Amino acid sequence: MSARDELKELARGFRWGRRPLVPRSAEPYAEERVDAGFPTDWARSRAGVAVRQVILNAGMHTLVSVELSLRIYGLDHLDDVPGPVIFFSNHSSHLDATLIMTTLPDRFQKKTAVGAARDYFFDVWWRQAYTALAFGAFPIDRGRGAVGAIDKARELVDDGWSIVVFPEGTRSPDGHMQRFRHGASRLALELGVGLVPIAIVGAYQAMPKGKWWPRGGRPVVTMRYGDPIYPVEGETHQALSVRMQQAVMELFDEDRTDWFQATARAERGETPSLAGPAGAPWRRTWEGSRPVGRRGRPRAWE
Amino acid sequence: MDRAYGTTSRKAGRMTTLALEYFRSAPRFVGARTIGSKAPGLIAGPLAPLRLVNLKDPEPPSGHDGWARVKPLLAGICGSDLSTLAGKSSFYFSPLVSVPFVPGHEVVGELLDDCGDLATGTRVVMSSVLSCASRGEDPMCPNCAAGHTNRCDRVAVGDLKPGLQTGYCSQTGGGWSRLMVAHRSQLHAVPEGMSDEVAVVLEPFACAIHAAQRARIEAGDTVLVVGAGTVGILTLIAIKLFTQAGHVIVAAKHTKQRAAAKMAGADEVVRPEHAAKSVRRFTSAVKLTPERGPDFLLGGADVVVECTGSKSALDMALRTTKAAGRIVVSGIPGPGADLTPMWFRELELVGAYTATAEDFDRAVGAGATMPILEQLVGATYPLANWREAIDHAMSAGSLGTFKVAFRPQD
Amino acid sequence: MPRPGFVLEVDERTPSLLVNEGEGYRMQRFPLGTKVIYPPDALPGVDDLNAHIRHALLHPMGDAKPLPELLFAGMKLTIAVDDISLPLPPMVTPDVRQRILEHVIELAARAGVDDLEIVVATALHRRMTAAEIRRMVGERVFRSFWPKALYNLDAEDAANMTIVGQTDQGETVQIQKRAADSDLIVYVNINLVAMDGGHKSVAIGLAGYESLKHHHNVNTMLHSKSYMDPREGHSAINDSTVRMGRYLAANGVKVFQIETTLNSETFPSQLGFLNKREWEWSGKDQGLMMAAKKANDLAPPRIRREFFRKIEAPYKVTGINAGEVEAVHERTLENLHRQQLVEVQGQADVAIFGIPYVGPYNVNSVLNPILVHCLGLGYLFNMYRNDPIVREGGVAILFHPVPWEFNTIHHPSYIDFFEEVLAETTDPKQIEATFEERYAKDPWYIHLYRTSHAYHGVHPFYMWYWGAHGRDHCGDVIFVGGEPKSVARLGYRRADSLRDALEMAKDTVGTSPSITYFHAPPIMIADVR
Repeated sequence: MSARDELKELARGFRWGRRPLVPRSAEPYAEERVDAGFPTDWARSRAGVAVRQVILNAGMHTLVSVELSLRIYGLDHLDDVPGPVIFFSNHSSHLDATLIMTTLPDRFQKKTAVGAARDYFFDVWWRQAYTALAFGAFPIDRGRGAVGAIDKARELVDDGWSIVVFPEGTRSPDGHMQRFRHGASRLALELGVGLVPIAIVGAYQAMPKGKWWPRGGRPVVTMRYGDPIYPVEGETHQALSVRMQQAVMELFDEDRTDWFQATARAERGETPSLAGPAGAPWRRTWEGSRPVGRRGRPRAWE
Repeated sequence: MDRAYGTTSRKAGRMTTLALEYFRSAPRFVGARTIGSKAPGLIAGPLAPLRLVNLKDPEPPSGHDGWARVKPLLAGICGSDLSTLAGKSSFYFSPLVSVPFVPGHEVVGELLDDCGDLATGTRVVMSSVLSCASRGEDPMCPNCAAGHTNRCDRVAVGDLKPGLQTGYCSQTGGGWSRLMVAHRSQLHAVPEGMSDEVAVVLEPFACAIHAAQRARIEAGDTVLVVGAGTVGILTLIAIKLFTQAGHVIVAAKHTKQRAAAKMAGADEVVRPEHAAKSVRRFTSAVKLTPERGPDFLLGGADVVVECTGSKSALDMALRTTKAAGRIVVSGIPGPGADLTPMWFRELELVGAYTATAEDFDRAVGAGATMPILEQLVGATYPLANWREAIDHAMSAGSLGTFKVAFRPQD
Repeated sequence: MPRPGFVLEVDERTPSLLVNEGEGYRMQRFPLGTKVIYPPDALPGVDDLNAHIRHALLHPMGDAKPLPELLFAGMKLTIAVDDISLPLPPMVTPDVRQRILEHVIELAARAGVDDLEIVVATALHRRMTAAEIRRMVGERVFRSFWPKALYNLDAEDAANMTIVGQTDQGETVQIQKRAADSDLIVYVNINLVAMDGGHKSVAIGLAGYESLKHHHNVNTMLHSKSYMDPREGHSAINDSTVRMGRYLAANGVKVFQIETTLNSETFPSQLGFLNKREWEWSGKDQGLMMAAKKANDLAPPRIRREFFRKIEAPYKVTGINAGEVEAVHERTLENLHRQQLVEVQGQADVAIFGIPYVGPYNVNSVLNPILVHCLGLGYLFNMYRNDPIVREGGVAILFHPVPWEFNTIHHPSYIDFFEEVLAETTDPKQIEATFEERYAKDPWYIHLYRTSHAYHGVHPFYMWYWGAHGRDHCGDVIFVGGEPKSVARLGYRRADSLRDALEMAKDTVGTSPSITYFHAPPIMIADVR
């Protein structure tokens, strides 16, 4: 048998370049292939942090402030917060994570990691690498109540890292806030850290789902940081979720009117809902896309 | 002087017949096949596998009768001759020919011997197939027995050397010479008063009639004829004459061809690139555009007759025929056409090869009343000017000529 | 107060005048004594558009109630908008339709309306692309409704078209089923020319072939003198649509009509000289004109086309009226005439028209020969009231290169019409009798109309009929600078220059004809007495 024939013979038994197959009768004994996941720790190393700060402050921050009319309020709430916290906000745009990461004070920015959906952001290697580098991200399995991510999160918090999560789980299709899922509250209860609410107003109008670049005309986007809330002894994660949602709603109300009125309404339990109008889907989109900060004379309906 | 030279000596073994002979030459074959299409001039020039020589008088096979000597008066140059010269014909034919041979199968000539009921001096045209009768096969093959001599199964066996037609057989000689032999079964007398120019196109006309027959066109059918060279025009005439086609569209490349098609009675004449659009319009078909390649129709012509022998024309035929329609392949099909529509649209692909005696009789009958046929012969050349003749024939379409023929006796 | 339109008489002091010819223009010297009709200067736009819209919606005309009172929770509401054929050229964003739509939708949202659909009233025009619709209705409306509740009309979707009935003249009235079943149709229109709007909006815009064939035919067109004059008895096509519109109203189809009129600021400031009268051109205007003309003549055709395609008209809104169709339309026409009407004394032996680069049916496309015919002998010729600009048997001279060129996506049936039908005959009546049915029912055209962006198979016929009256009225039609083959196919004659054309016209109108040059665009209507 010549060497060429031998090679041919060998090749016949394997599927080079294709998915390997296990012989049918050997299937029960085959090793289960486990997706080890993408390692992200390197992105939180000293070098990773340095690179990230360049990306965030030189690149992203410039872009965001050129393309948007950005307004930031309430950062003073963070002054007295010592250690790691969980930041959470409403989620309606790919801008959200960028906006939070670029507006955080330096102290937090250095040590904050974003929880990102494994199914999307940790799907292909180049997106994994970018997400990890730019956001210090770690993967969260959507729809599993953050169970799988708790270990990773504890490790980070113990190490002094803060975490950003979007309790809605996915970007809003129409600009209105969706029900908060319980992953974030569970995480907070497990770790026993504070939760900082953030309201992001106008990101949907600027760059809704499906868009990859902000709309022209420097749309107004407002970031409003709130007072941290802490889990109370014996509180269930359902109750905490409701409190978190209420905190974001109050910030929205504050943005629309003023702090005093918003607080008064919250006291009376009258904070306006962010769920948007019921009825036909177009009405939610219509309301959700209402421009913010528009000047000019009133319209027919005003 | 010319006449004395060449034709009459009966003494065997003397080199007395002036003929254009096709011979095998590997370099010329390869050359013509590779660069012939880019420089067609070369095929009539240094790459031509032809030579003008004096040959021995052709010898009919001994042992059975019916053979007679014929003095060609006009001999046409056919598309199949040209593709042979260009090295483009399929190797499929190689066991069906015997080299070297003298080409020329569209012949009108004069009998030099009595041949059965035809007396010496009769003007004849020749049906080219060398079938069972000419080979002394007894019993005949079933096709010949049924009268389908064009489908003869014995073209490579018998008393005669292999040769599917006169003009591809080394033993019979061919039209491009001053003397050839033919068998009674091939010969048809030319009516009094018919010119040689009309007579020389009777052979292709018979083939066209055969193709029209094979098309099985029904009353009112929409027919697309692709190509309007000699074959295309004659096919159009045959369709108009012998079928009840409803609407005949002709796709023709050259201006003169389009004018001729119009004159020959086409209902619509279009450029090839507009053919699909025209068929679509007339049949209210749906035209779709694939990501690559030409448009095609869902719906379309009932029958398409392909008369050019090019790949693109067959492609067009396949793409413009309605489901369960019929395509008649009248030219030797080029390789590489996409047969997907044949499968998907359940098309019938029908060949049409030469003609039967019956077709010939109809051609002779109809030809007598159609002086228009005379105009098809656009140029004739003596054998000595064969390079010019071949060159002319290679680009006949763009030069506004339909049929180029030799005058072997000049 | 802007100056009204007027008629200039060419004398020794008159400079060369600008004449449009497709994707270009030329400076043309006219024979002494030629009358030139100029449109009125642009009227000022309304100062606060939103306030005007609000006022129109809250104070409707005729017996209509204010829009908020017509809207209620649980209702079925259909909003119809004019398609890309209006205005010409497309106006700068935001389009006035977007402004109105936003007000109407907001009111609907407040009233708790859920079942709301917006249909682009294309009838047998091509479907607009998503990008074109987004540009027209604005991002917010688009995002909220596209593609489920914002779509092009599909007049060949048998399941979604309905025959409402027949008028007393036996005309079938067919419109979109959803619109017919709605509690209210709100129609948002742009009234660019006098034939637009009124009952035409719903009865034609939302109709299909079954209905259109009753008025889009040679007979009506020959009895519409002109179709730009919708007074009763003047335009057979308009009378027919009015019958249909009234029939719809009588049979419970409720329409809240919103009509807008624009001023005549057709060209952006870089091309401002196109809006002005030649002898008033400043040095800057002249320089701009020369530069633009030279650049245009030298540019390769693709660039030239791109340049013209990009022109956006800075139109301003001169009026918004809403409410009951006929009351609204009467006011709309008043507004329109204020901007467009020019009084002209007497008809001419020879009328001259410069055909611009764009007509209603070739936005983002090519003005093919059939559309040239339609724009010249249809639209421009019919821009009159009372009497045509040219006398019966007179000569029409049109400037256009008439290239043999078609857009295969938008105008597939036009190609076949030009190659098959016009090769056989140019007589509208014969064409109608022999070919129309086959083209209208051709499955391929229908397929392309429904799924691609093609005009319906029957549309080139309408274009041909559109010019039937002009063709019938003129003794001779001469294209200056037209491509010989395509002009011949149209059945007309051509000349290289105006001089030659006038020479050729002598056979018909004698040696010293009276000549009138219709200096449009901007759009105007000649009131010939």
